[in-house]
Amino acid sequence: MKKNQEKIKIHNIKKTFEGGNKVVALENLNININENEFAVILGPSGCGKSTLLYLLAGFEKPTSGKIYLDGKLIKKPSPNRGFVFQDFALYPWKTVLKNIAFGLELKGISKKDSANKSMDYIKMVGLEGFEHAYPHTLSGGMKQRVGIARALVYDPEVLLMDEPFGALDAQTRKQMQIELEKIWEKTKKTVVFVTHSVIEAAYLADKVFVMTARPGKVKGIVGVNLPRPRDYTDDNFLKVRGKILNLLESEVEKSMQQKQEIETT
Amino acid sequence: MFILPFIVVIPIWEIISQLELIAHLPPPSLIFSKFIFLAFEEGVLAQHLIGSVYRLLIGYILAVSFGIFLGTIVGLNKLISDTITPLLSLLISIPTIAWVPVLLITLGLGDETVIAAVFLGGFFAITYSVIHGIRTVNKNLINAGKIVGAGKYKLFESVLLPGSLVSLIPGLRLAIGYSWRALVGAEMLAAMVRWGVGKMIFTSRMSNVIETMFLGLLIIGIAGLLLDRLLLFIENKTVVKWGMVTEG
Amino acid sequence: MEFKIKLGNILAIIIIFIFFLFWEIFANYEIIQIALFSKPSLIFLKIYDNGFEIIGHLLTTLYRLVLSFFIAMIIGIFFGMLMGYDQHIYRFFNPLITTLMAIPGIAMAPIFIIWLGFGDPTIITIGIIVAFFPIVYNAAIGVRSIDKNHVNAAKIMGAKKKHLFLKIYLPHSFTYIIIGVKLGLARCWRTIIAVEFIAATGYGLGYMIWDAYEYLNVTIVYTGILILAIVFFTIEKTIIREVEKKTIDKWGVLHEQVS
Repeated sequence: MKKNQEKIKIHNIKKTFEGGNKVVALENLNININENEFAVILGPSGCGKSTLLYLLAGFEKPTSGKIYLDGKLIKKPSPNRGFVFQDFALYPWKTVLKNIAFGLELKGISKKDSANKSMDYIKMVGLEGFEHAYPHTLSGGMKQRVGIARALVYDPEVLLMDEPFGALDAQTRKQMQIELEKIWEKTKKTVVFVTHSVIEAAYLADKVFVMTARPGKVKGIVGVNLPRPRDYTDDNFLKVRGKILNLLESEVEKSMQQKQEIETT
Repeated sequence: MFILPFIVVIPIWEIISQLELIAHLPPPSLIFSKFIFLAFEEGVLAQHLIGSVYRLLIGYILAVSFGIFLGTIVGLNKLISDTITPLLSLLISIPTIAWVPVLLITLGLGDETVIAAVFLGGFFAITYSVIHGIRTVNKNLINAGKIVGAGKYKLFESVLLPGSLVSLIPGLRLAIGYSWRALVGAEMLAAMVRWGVGKMIFTSRMSNVIETMFLGLLIIGIAGLLLDRLLLFIENKTVVKWGMVTEG
Repeated sequence: MEFKIKLGNILAIIIIFIFFLFWEIFANYEIIQIALFSKPSLIFLKIYDNGFEIIGHLLTTLYRLVLSFFIAMIIGIFFGMLMGYDQHIYRFFNPLITTLMAIPGIAMAPIFIIWLGFGDPTIITIGIIVAFFPIVYNAAIGVRSIDKNHVNAAKIMGAKKKHLFLKIYLPHSFTYIIIGVKLGLARCWRTIIAVEFIAATGYGLGYMIWDAYEYLNVTIVYTGILILAIVFFTIEKTIIREVEKKTIDKWGVLHEQVS
């Protein structure tokens, strides 16, 4: 078995947002993620999990603390990471193919080769036939498949996913979880996946990092060692789900209290 | 179907005029014969149209160029755009026609004034729409570009620029309407201008040829409509095709 | 009304101040000709000396604006909603309205001068016409874009025609009506100023400016422009914002906005 190297090291991260009210989104945050690991960051809304992902991506900078990828400090966005957005963030004026090929073309790869490689990924996410469609003609699930293909096509070291299925209906969501699982099995990329759904976490993760309410830090880690693909109804699955829920419950209450406090000020 | 109302209205109009039920109302037949006369026998109609279109094109192209240029510079920087936008709103509040006396005094009574008026008509609207377009591009579209490796210039060219079209193109459409109206107004007021559809109405008033006035009105209205439809066509081929607006 | 205290707004005011300062300096040192450009001190002096007269002109213009706009609004909203409601009426009148809407108000002035003479009748009539079209056009779209299901829901609850109109049709089309009203108001005062250039006799901001131009009284021309900017900027920022706040913001945006 391959030795699991440390891929991502999140070290003593603190992130504050200045503004009308100063908000400490993350504090004393430490997370280590290994290579080929499917890591899920789970937490109540407002706990800063999306902020953490934006820090990993380089879209924002930490107030203090450091993040390392393969031992190197992350300073700004770069194609060694792929990102899947909750609101899809596809370019409306580009076709599906062009959206995916964009990253490749930026690397200097020829239009023809970019198109070919993009087609491979279009097939992989099951969108063959839609390569010349414009994003606004696609359903939510289809748009996110494009998002996933776009993030994977240039073979990044790490895949970052920000509640990618949050904007989809329950049926589509479940379908996408299964599909993502299948796609991941093929490449076994290191994934950092943010969600607030316990079931989603238990289904997809190797490790679940449960976050506290704001300011966010890691409350506990639940390892999920079940064979894949997992069965939602399996006893062991339910046990893992229960473990995660226990950790999460009190934090959800805390975050709702915080929301009420904001609304009354 | 578009013709329907006209098929009904024109005969009724003809009858009302011929029976002189309303004073000073030329019948469509007279307007039409005037049209034939001016267009083909005297051939001046073409000259009027060319004169106007020529001035419109120059002024509008200048407005688009400067507008996009200035709007881009301002739009890229938050502090500058927060400062300039209120000033722009203030300037837009001034009707373009109000600038014409100033233009007449400083630029004279000829073509330059009309072109300047056309420019002013379109410039503010375009600048504003570019600034607004750039500032309201979805942040995640920019992030998506950054993570796949786009540098500052590429981000501008491939994300900000197309992203701002959703505001720019309707802005261009608005602007051509403003420019066209500015053109007509300025032509009516600029004494040394000889050819132009606005001028045509004005001189026909001097000679009290009311059917020419009507003709001029119709031509101006139709021309304005055609210009608007032209830009609507562009809008449909771009931002509507990409699903970036909800209604045309 | 809240005025956002942003750095940008403060800078904007500073820039305006600097602009006037430079204008004054350049004019005083004859870098630009006073005959063409006047200078701020002269303008303010003019306003101080002739304040009442200027206010008289302003009020005349505003009177014409308010009168023509309100008439246009009432007729426009009514007729627009009628058009939106009845498919046949819409199909018949829509092409007419679209065509007539494209005619600039100032171009109508010579004809109306022949029909109605100089002064108020012409100015106000043209004001009504140019304000009317955007209002009627958007009101029609507003009614046509109402979700059929909202209407059905009300009908099934037993709503009578009057109720339907007041409680469903009017509020739902309000977003579009407001858009039409904004456009109509803007076209109205811009056109009134323009028509005043040609058709006014004695009073009105447009008259003041054009008359001043004919006597090459540059200072008054700039005074007029300044007043136009301030007055109409204020109108658009305050009155319109207030109305929008009390209606659209309160009810929520019911439809996507059409620019």
